[in-house]
Amino acid sequence: MLSVTLAYRNILRHRRRTFLTALSMTGGFVLCTFSFSMLEGSWGGAVDIFTLDHTGHVQVHFGDYHRRPKVHKAIDDIEAVEDALKAHRKVEAFAPRVFAPALAYAGEKTAPVSVIGINAEREASTSRILQKVQEGEYFDASPDLDGYFGAMVGVSVARSLNIGVGDEIVLISQGADGSIANDIFVVRATIGSRTSHDRYAVYLPLSVAQSFLTMGTRVHEYALIVSSPRNNEAIAREINAAVQAVNPELTALPWQVLEETFYTTMKADKQSNHFMMVIIVFLVFIGVLNTVLMSILERTREFGVIRALGSRPIQIIKLVFLETMIMATLSIAAGLVLLVPILYWLVGYGFALPETIEVGGVEFGQMKGIVIPSVIIAPALLIYGFAALVSIPPGIRAASITPRSALSSH
Amino acid sequence: MDNVIETRGVYRHFGEEQARVVALDEVSITIERGEFTAIIGPSGSGKTTLLHIIGGLDNPDRGDVLLSGTNIADMSGNALSDFRRDHIGFIFQAYNLIPVLSAEENIEYIMLLQGRPAVERRERVQQMLSMVGLEGLGSRRPGELSGGQQQRVAVARAMASGPDIILADEPTANLDSRTGIALLDVMRALNEEQNMTFVFSTHDQKIMDRARRLIVLEDGRVVDDQRR
Repeated sequence: MLSVTLAYRNILRHRRRTFLTALSMTGGFVLCTFSFSMLEGSWGGAVDIFTLDHTGHVQVHFGDYHRRPKVHKAIDDIEAVEDALKAHRKVEAFAPRVFAPALAYAGEKTAPVSVIGINAEREASTSRILQKVQEGEYFDASPDLDGYFGAMVGVSVARSLNIGVGDEIVLISQGADGSIANDIFVVRATIGSRTSHDRYAVYLPLSVAQSFLTMGTRVHEYALIVSSPRNNEAIAREINAAVQAVNPELTALPWQVLEETFYTTMKADKQSNHFMMVIIVFLVFIGVLNTVLMSILERTREFGVIRALGSRPIQIIKLVFLETMIMATLSIAAGLVLLVPILYWLVGYGFALPETIEVGGVEFGQMKGIVIPSVIIAPALLIYGFAALVSIPPGIRAASITPRSALSSH
Repeated sequence: MDNVIETRGVYRHFGEEQARVVALDEVSITIERGEFTAIIGPSGSGKTTLLHIIGGLDNPDRGDVLLSGTNIADMSGNALSDFRRDHIGFIFQAYNLIPVLSAEENIEYIMLLQGRPAVERRERVQQMLSMVGLEGLGSRRPGELSGGQQQRVAVARAMASGPDIILADEPTANLDSRTGIALLDVMRALNEEQNMTFVFSTHDQKIMDRARRLIVLEDGRVVDDQRR
């Protein structure tokens, strides 16, 4: 305790200088935390936009369907798989899907499309598909009075085929058994935007798509929403074990693996931002190093006396280390006080973007921060790390002061 | 005979070639436990260098320095630091108390370095303060104490670690003569009551008069050694 008292009082010797040094540390910490919160918030937002648009947090496929999709690579054990997913407490929602390429006709026009069979109810609880409806109404699995089932078409399909809500669309594809699949559907809604991934998609009710593609009750994919999106990789491993217990050929993968390019790009962007933060803190600590060195030089005689009394060099290094760490702690504490209103504003209101970002027909106009433990802990550790680092050269300098030379100096 | 200090042929020089100054030249002295010894001599005679070498603050170029039977002449690093901490008490001319610590804390600090438990440290601090007549002033910082009081704290600090010997380099040089004599009286009382060995340098005649033994240095050599 006396060591801490000594270190604490030492840093209060030159209050103004300590204040200015601590202020620069506090500034570094606040800036770092703000940027980190912003970065994590926008990263989380982007991941949210991306995963809720179509991937989900985790997906279950048969074999290597995620790499080489084929109509016949489907999941057979529907009930058992769904039971396993329902039983997993970290799975909040899941939606089965089937996919197939097809040719769409309307009048004299044709367009290549991607048929996506979805369970209307489950899909709505798993993705933002409801929000993406541009015209018409979100469909259900029942046929109209003439016996035609509904379809929702991507806006580019609607534009290419010059069709709208109420028009007929003919789809031709290949069934899972190799037969020719063709049928007429009525457009119930247009979906997404010209930039969304499903602009060339035709959504069909799951049972209708399964029948159209002669798939029985099989599906190609389960998209899952999990309770803790930030831990989805670990959860994916748990789910993988659960579905493999049903069928060893099933795989559950996190979106980071399924959309590797997107993930790698985001990660690189995040890393470059982290690097910038480290540079900022490094610059702050050049000033801190100078101050600590100055305080050591001013106390040459005192360190000499402490050495004469029998202090080991390591005890002197510890003292300087302690002084710097106390200063870092005080700076972080002050920073936390300043951060309360700043983060409150950033998380609650954030920055209004000059132009809204549109993803898949859903618009986002705010850039908000996030407060999770790592947003505070990482910058604090960065400050402590640099504080520890910059205390070493002055500490060594102080420890190398010989009592004789120090006592001879006046 | 219980020798606390024994130097044999201690030689120390500073500078090289034309600037070479011999500070100590074959100094051999023996100091027994419980002695109250003054090392006297004109400025530049080698008093401080001898105290530094005896105190393990400096190493001789050659010769042996035995402190309680341990040769510290070739000791260095942590071993020497530990030896100083446990066996030698220092009193400096400029007091050299740690300004941000109170008198009590200054005395306690050396015991902290020794790793003594907090309860024991605090008890001993009070004993030391009482011994040097500073009861009630323990919470004051050096800046709030007079020169004489600060030097008493320095004496208490030197005593606190339970050393074999206390070395004092011109302990009264920064004090007026009355305060200086009073300090010497405190040191002498401790010498008599605790059988503590004191070796101090001075060139103040009134201080010399209180010593029981005078070692006279001139140009780095012992020219006289009188016991009284």
